[in-house]
Amino acid sequence: MVRWAREGFEPAFRELVHRYERPVFSLIYRMVRDRALAEDLAQETFVKVLNAIRSYKPEYKFSSWIFKIANNAAIDHLRRRQIDTLSLDGSPTARSPEEMHASAPQLGDQTESPLDEVESRELGGAIERAIARLRPEYRSCILLRHVEGHSYEEIAKMLDLPLGTVKTYIHRARNELRVYLEGARE
Amino acid sequence: MNERLQTHLTPEEVELWATGLLSAARTFHLTECAECLAVAERERKLLVELAQLKRFAPSAEFAEHVLAQVRIPTPSGSHNG
Repeated sequence: MVRWAREGFEPAFRELVHRYERPVFSLIYRMVRDRALAEDLAQETFVKVLNAIRSYKPEYKFSSWIFKIANNAAIDHLRRRQIDTLSLDGSPTARSPEEMHASAPQLGDQTESPLDEVESRELGGAIERAIARLRPEYRSCILLRHVEGHSYEEIAKMLDLPLGTVKTYIHRARNELRVYLEGARE
Repeated sequence: MNERLQTHLTPEEVELWATGLLSAARTFHLTECAECLAVAERERKLLVELAQLKRFAPSAEFAEHVLAQVRIPTPSGSHNG
């Protein structure tokens, strides 16, 4: 399929999107926990991959390539959001709590939208909430290993991490998940 | 070090056991070590929950939105669209 896409066969592009849209979207959605945003980031991932299809190296698994780009898109977003969240606390140059409060941006209406309700339903289960509590690096590893079924070696290549680090992250993530789930059931 | 401790299953072996891929020799350890068996059972439960997580679908227009932004290469190396 990838070879056909590289040769410019349009239906092959459509088939690649069809094959990978659910796993790629699901990974990103579980990383960012926002449907609309996950859709934008998944779209960005596919456009990037398909526009660079000629530079794809067949010795690398296509699924590894697309998940690597999807994960990078999600992680980059989470890093940017972390910076934005910090700035919501107010100006870093504020000299008192009052100045900090005065310089903090005002948040808009917090009412739950229909999309929020869908997200609560889809990601509201105990296991989904436990995954959300993991740090992003652990979350990527655990999703790629136990939801997508990639090997430790593939994950190490995808995330540009040493194999030992991937094993440690997955082991720690599973321990944390068990603790969260046991806490939720008590 | 206690000899029994040295033979405890590693996290990777526990994962192999939970997926039915651990060697018979190492699986035998679970028959004599209640500690490893408890860890392995908890691990299996978690792995089953993770494996059962559903895959979400993006919106119905997702593919069209993607394809509208993709430049399909032609055999000569230039792009269409």
